Amino acid sequence: MNAPRLDTFQVIADPSRRQILHMLTQDSMTINSLAENFDMSRPAVSKHIKILYGAGFISIEDIGRERYCTLKEDGFKDLQEWLKFFDDFWKSKLKKLETLLNKNQKNKTK
Amino acid sequence: MKNTITQTIRYEHSPEEVWEYLTKPELISQWLMPNNFEPVKGHDFEFRTKPIPSLNLDGIMYCRVIEIVPNEKLIYSWKGGPEKGITTLDTIVEWTLEAKDNGTELHLVQTGFNEENISIFSAMQGGWNQNLNKIITLLSTATK
Repeated sequence: MNAPRLDTFQVIADPSRRQILHMLTQDSMTINSLAENFDMSRPAVSKHIKILYGAGFISIEDIGRERYCTLKEDGFKDLQEWLKFFDDFWKSKLKKLETLLNKNQKNKTK
Repeated sequence: MKNTITQTIRYEHSPEEVWEYLTKPELISQWLMPNNFEPVKGHDFEFRTKPIPSLNLDGIMYCRVIEIVPNEKLIYSWKGGPEKGITTLDTIVEWTLEAKDNGTELHLVQTGFNEENISIFSAMQGGWNQNLNKIITLLSTATK
């Protein structure tokens, strides 16, 4: 599948793609049934689906003559990484501040 | 899934002392990052660090002072992205200082981690097993 490779946040920044993901939280859906919910053309919907697929947000299975889209966990990992990063980041920074404050106090009492 | 980072740490120093380290650029840079902060509401400033490729951040945090109450409270926006002009991280950092037993309890809250994205994630986790079961059913029907 050829679709521009976007990062996680660019992928979810688009309202149509978010809507697709929201619909898929309820159930797996065919590309056709997803497309029925949008005013845009089917190829346009298809393009969004390719982007979601490329970023690991959904998997696509051919079942009979239909293509089924299902949510996939991979795409959501970046979000967790982000939270974890900043959690650790602040923890270490606040510790550093403590060391600094203590050092400062010692100098004062000298 | 949580979308807020909260941390509390106690320092054996007065709120006035801790406040200095939150609001004086040269002191902030000693424990946090090089910056051009000014304790003025509406002031735009930046924190600069090394790029963080794993998070697709270029290492510059674009910030604006939203609220400032000396020795008590400091709120600024905290935004970043892969390059200038593209914001993918859009959060708010809130500091609160509380005098306690001759020291200070410093509270940090960082919010806004793409709340909409997180809501999709939570919804997804709820429906996860259900989705898997659905696809298994579909697959087994298709192969019949």
